[in-house]
Amino acid sequence: MCELCEKYGDNGSRWYLNPQNYARPLYKKVEKGKEKEPMILTELQGPFYYKPLIELKDDPEAFEKMREGYSKFHETMGGQVVCLEDAKKMVEIAQPIARMDCICRRITRATLEDGKQRPRTCLGVGVGMFRWEEWPERYKGGVEFLSTEEAKKHIEHWHKRGMVITIMTFGTPYIGGICLCDYPDCLAIRMRLDYGIKPMLLKGHQVAKVNYEECTGCGTCVQRCQFGAIKMEVTTKKSNIDMTRCFGCGVCAYACPQDAISLIDREKLPALKEEW
Amino acid sequence: MIPQIEIDKNKCPTPYECKKCLQICPQAVFAVAPTKVERFKETAPEDYEVQAVFKDKCVLCMDCVKVCPTGAIKIKVRSN
Repeated sequence: MCELCEKYGDNGSRWYLNPQNYARPLYKKVEKGKEKEPMILTELQGPFYYKPLIELKDDPEAFEKMREGYSKFHETMGGQVVCLEDAKKMVEIAQPIARMDCICRRITRATLEDGKQRPRTCLGVGVGMFRWEEWPERYKGGVEFLSTEEAKKHIEHWHKRGMVITIMTFGTPYIGGICLCDYPDCLAIRMRLDYGIKPMLLKGHQVAKVNYEECTGCGTCVQRCQFGAIKMEVTTKKSNIDMTRCFGCGVCAYACPQDAISLIDREKLPALKEEW
Repeated sequence: MIPQIEIDKNKCPTPYECKKCLQICPQAVFAVAPTKVERFKETAPEDYEVQAVFKDKCVLCMDCVKVCPTGAIKIKVRSN
């Protein structure tokens, strides 16, 4: 069973569909004690992504230390891939929802999604969003509050274009963001794929599977996979999904013109049900 | 072998505004972030810092060194 569902699910339900994980008291808990002093990002994010990687030289020991540090960090911040269907259910639970600049992309490529020059991609959820004006640096370019229907449309729009839907916690299990991510600009995907830091981004509750009878070998899914899980089998002209590498984001299934890819429940596959 | 990428902060006063190295890097090695974030205040451009975070991904194509308008980036390779 998914570690987060075990701890924070409601009687075996998926943890991110448990309304308690969006609740205000959790948010207050995160804020407590941080209010008095100005937030210094390099210190705060030291164990998060910044410092350890800089210190990582040709030193395998330092690298191991960094991985350990990150693994502990998931108590503060962590994520999981979700499929479109679940994301839509989440949007129905979470209020308010606001479109905002992607912080990862601002860090890795120095872009700014202000809604004018560049469209905004990520969604901030929960009561914290009401206080966005307090933190003009974090919410650079402003935010835009969305209705439930608008949020669903927003998510589907980017998912269609190839983005992976992920959830981010700020003080696990408080869900603070529904992000639309790709490699390499998403730091969570990068941490997981390149450095094996699992808790930054757990795999989703589904895995994708190809129906070989329907697949025409057009290759659309191969181009779309952000996790390098899909290859084209040259001689059979069928796409092949490595289900042990699949994160279950559903980007390939959405894009497939033949509807030849289906998402199946990870927990129904004995070999994959503990693979997160 | 992991290259040593050093960025001279004095030669790179406003990395977030310039962003040339960040956007040219094929391996997305760099990261830029504000060194402080205060309530009700946007961080000044001088308070940003760029660093080579994913050094182990660098392929030594030297695009960043070529594109940097002030020559702030130095890359050394340690020979083993």
